[in-house]
Amino acid sequence: MPLTRIYRRFMNNNDRLLLMIIGAIVGVCSGIAAVLLNRSLSAMLEWLHHYRDYYWAFIIPAIGAALSSLFLEKIVKEGAGHGVPEVIYSVSRYGGLLRMRSGFSRLVSSCLTIGSGGSAGPEAPIVMSGSAIGSNIARMFNLNERQRITIVGCGAAGAISSIFNAPISGLVFTVEVILGEWTALNIVPIALASVAGTEISRILQGNQIVFGHGGFEIDPADIASSLGLALFAAAASILLTRSLRGMHHVSEKVKAPIWIKAAIGGCAVGIIGMFTPVALGEGYHYIQDMIRGDFSRGIIIAAVCVLTKVLATSFTLGWGGSGGIFAPCLVIGSLVGLTYHRALSLIWPSAAWVDEGYFALLGMAGLISGILQAPLTGIFLIVEITGGYNVILPLIVVSAVSSSICHYIEPASFYLKDLKEKGQLLRPGTDARVLSDLKVTELLETDCIAVHRNMLLRDFIDIVKRSRRNYFPVEDENTGHFVGMIHLDVIRPFIFNPEIYDAVVLEQIMDTDVDIVPPDADLPDVLQRMDAKRLFSMPVVADDKFIGMVSKATLLDQYRKELIVQTTTA
Amino acid sequence: MKLLSSDLAKKLNIPRDTLDRWIRQGRIPVLRKGDACEFSRGVLIRWAKEHNIDFSETPSVEGSMTVDHPDSLASAMIQGGVFYKAPGDGIDEVLQNAVSVIPGLSEKMKQRLLSMLIERERMTSTGIGGGVAIPHPRTPISDICETSFITTCFLESPIDFKAVDDRPVFVLFILSSPDIKKHLHLLSRLAFCVRDGDFISFLKKEPEPDALYSMVAEFEKRLEVSR
Amino acid sequence: METQLFHIFRNTPLGRETLLQSIYFCNTLGVSLQVYIPKFTKFLMYFENDVVQIDLDESYLSFPETAIAHATELIEAGGKKPKFLEPKAFTASTLPDIPTNFDFMCCPRSISDLSSKIGLGYIGPRVRRIVKSAVFPVLITSGAFKQWKSITVFFGGSANATNSLKLGFRIARLSNLPLYVFTQADGKNKDDIYAVVKEGCLESDFEKYVGGWSFFQGGQLEENLYDVPHDSLAVIGAFGHGLIKDFLFGSKMEIIQSILPNNMLIVGPNYSVRR
Repeated sequence: MPLTRIYRRFMNNNDRLLLMIIGAIVGVCSGIAAVLLNRSLSAMLEWLHHYRDYYWAFIIPAIGAALSSLFLEKIVKEGAGHGVPEVIYSVSRYGGLLRMRSGFSRLVSSCLTIGSGGSAGPEAPIVMSGSAIGSNIARMFNLNERQRITIVGCGAAGAISSIFNAPISGLVFTVEVILGEWTALNIVPIALASVAGTEISRILQGNQIVFGHGGFEIDPADIASSLGLALFAAAASILLTRSLRGMHHVSEKVKAPIWIKAAIGGCAVGIIGMFTPVALGEGYHYIQDMIRGDFSRGIIIAAVCVLTKVLATSFTLGWGGSGGIFAPCLVIGSLVGLTYHRALSLIWPSAAWVDEGYFALLGMAGLISGILQAPLTGIFLIVEITGGYNVILPLIVVSAVSSSICHYIEPASFYLKDLKEKGQLLRPGTDARVLSDLKVTELLETDCIAVHRNMLLRDFIDIVKRSRRNYFPVEDENTGHFVGMIHLDVIRPFIFNPEIYDAVVLEQIMDTDVDIVPPDADLPDVLQRMDAKRLFSMPVVADDKFIGMVSKATLLDQYRKELIVQTTTA
Repeated sequence: MKLLSSDLAKKLNIPRDTLDRWIRQGRIPVLRKGDACEFSRGVLIRWAKEHNIDFSETPSVEGSMTVDHPDSLASAMIQGGVFYKAPGDGIDEVLQNAVSVIPGLSEKMKQRLLSMLIERERMTSTGIGGGVAIPHPRTPISDICETSFITTCFLESPIDFKAVDDRPVFVLFILSSPDIKKHLHLLSRLAFCVRDGDFISFLKKEPEPDALYSMVAEFEKRLEVSR
Repeated sequence: METQLFHIFRNTPLGRETLLQSIYFCNTLGVSLQVYIPKFTKFLMYFENDVVQIDLDESYLSFPETAIAHATELIEAGGKKPKFLEPKAFTASTLPDIPTNFDFMCCPRSISDLSSKIGLGYIGPRVRRIVKSAVFPVLITSGAFKQWKSITVFFGGSANATNSLKLGFRIARLSNLPLYVFTQADGKNKDDIYAVVKEGCLESDFEKYVGGWSFFQGGQLEENLYDVPHDSLAVIGAFGHGLIKDFLFGSKMEIIQSILPNNMLIVGPNYSVRR
């Protein structure tokens, strides 16, 4: 069959073209999903708009959040995670395998949460959906892990590109946050997916810059002032990260069904929203106002808004609502920028500062870079969604400073913190990656000769002559169970003393207090134990039976091979 | 090309588990079909070269250093031949005469071998006692011979070889091997024989080649049994 | 490496029967038993090219305080060392990942539906997904514990059906029990079928292990199945022929599983012997 042969050729030797085609398809699909979510969100906002003025309106976010968590828990049985971390986890550990149900579940649940007023963003859910769509399409094509990971990245890139109408951000976000790897092989399909996703969004909703502005006149003093803003943005990022985690811990301590918890969180958000409506929903049109300079409130209110938005976001996400932190970051960022601007004009009323929108914009970049610790994503996203290349210099400054400060205080970004704590963040080409891929069974040295506990030293010395190893496992001759080890050093004093050859049995000289390794042990643990006891090799014992040795010599051998294979791309 | 996973793993000299994982992760240009692996030979060989991994058509036999060595002492002796009544008074002269009768070597080779043997003797004598000397080059010379050989050379009259026990040497075993492993292997076996007093007295009788070969073979058999 | 059977324990009388069956299987084959007592109703199994989420029936979580004691008691009575699996990795905090590097797995006919639904002819969708993706065969137990004294391999003669034969020989080698082959040939003759055996290089094993060959050239499969001994372990191959032929499994497999109450070992298309 020539067709399958051609197909196989693609799969095996040169998969670039295949990956590009699949990547584009995935980009289109996740782009459509993003548009769908966007549309249903605005429809829901429209529909609920009339009810906002009633005194019981604070209950709306509660109902939304409760429904959303019920949907996740009972209907699709998703076992809610954060979304983006789950994608990174699956890419790290399982070659990007994601469940089919993840392809739509978050769309529905986040639509319920955000549409009803919960303070969260639609980006993380759409990344999750896009990745899951990619993963399942890759599965249909029977791709291997390396290819599948690229396609998962395509899904994520298409989603981000489509929802922000920002192809470069999609590409950069995927490479920087989701994959953590930049190779000639994966960049092309992902770029194509970004283009496809953006194009779909432009066809369906028109080509509009999300937060357009009129352009700014920037002089060097403004760039210098942006350094101060970076500090504030970093502080706000840390505050948001800590408050999210804190709220999560609080809600974990409350014993109640999840949907009740979600409802409690929703209620709190609703109450906050009655006083500061900025805190409700994704808040994009407030960003628009702030960048245009139409947000007229004073410094006190702006500062309060920052705090309430942080609080509302923590209540929404920490108590079981569904959504991402992208949009809240943008809102908080622009509020921080605004506050900073007001503060500057208060201190130096005479100075002619640039437009306040400029600071709002930089604030967003600072927050995104700080929370995600992904400066490139911050820079490109803001450039693209505001359509302003002329602010790129201060943007780079703010992003770099904010993400370094945050990195100093919180070494792991919001998405990666849990994964890092559990040791599940395995970026390609790192030590953790190689060690987690290698299994004890792959390092097994089986050329040790097992001896019996009742063997005479004389017989043992004959065996020593034949062996190339210094270690000899001792077994029980009846049960075959492992009882101890003999190292050559132990018998060295007896070797030149033939008189006692028949007087000593191995049981007397063997070491019974041996550290053993089960065959399913994780390699980092094994290495840690070796280092702690200064061992060079350890016996592997399964079900009381000796099956081989692991040693650092073999490990180095395999480790090198593995590293070469993992990092060299032909 | 199609191979069983376990066979391919052997060819690549990696554990089976590693191969399976690499295929799953798409790190190696091989497709899995149940228990079998499908790949294109050329692509895989190129891949192996790029990634510093051996790909051998015939899986290497490991651990052959001491066990089941193909070269036996007797076969090396047959290869080298036995000669009697080699003339000479000094070490260099005897060696020169002995080397000149070694079969299957060109004149140039003989000259090289001789100079290496003499050089080795200058270092320390190869006379290992009991009237026996084992002259050999210090480093193996693979271009002289593809297989190991031992040329046995009984001397016309015993000479002073500066041997360890100061006894005059009456027989030379000139030993040459293509590599150090085989060299050590043969040397240790030869030493085992020469240590035996019966063997020395047997040699003193200047036995016929066939008798010598069978005697050596018998000693080797004893060596096998004792391990 | 030891061979392992993976069992998910259900702390109910039905679960007891299944565990007893697993213990018997392990003892007969000299396989060690790994038991998972679920703490959450969901878990994930990551296979080579699929991830399966298993939503357990609520009865798996019932009476957690006695579960370990019950399981330990049964396993020790069967002369085995109880080994419990603690999931190490979690996709989400209530969603553990269960490893998939076992040699066998024991499933009831359904693990996500109520036990009242379980009956002949019904295999739940999750169990099907597992069979389809796994490299290990799946042991589907009869309703009540029943010992088996022989092995019956269902061999239809298609090229990829040799998996069931390979597995059958492996079981026969491990257990020293007689092995029979059952073939519903649908018109093909014996030589055609045997040619497939030759092609798979299974002749010598075939001669060595097969104690009898029930060969039916015609007749109804449903009727011929009466020939399968009641105390025999049925080894059946299941191949995803796609939607065109039958949902997930071959059609013969569906008939067999709806008629035969025996313990069944179902081997999927990805089966490979690791050790």
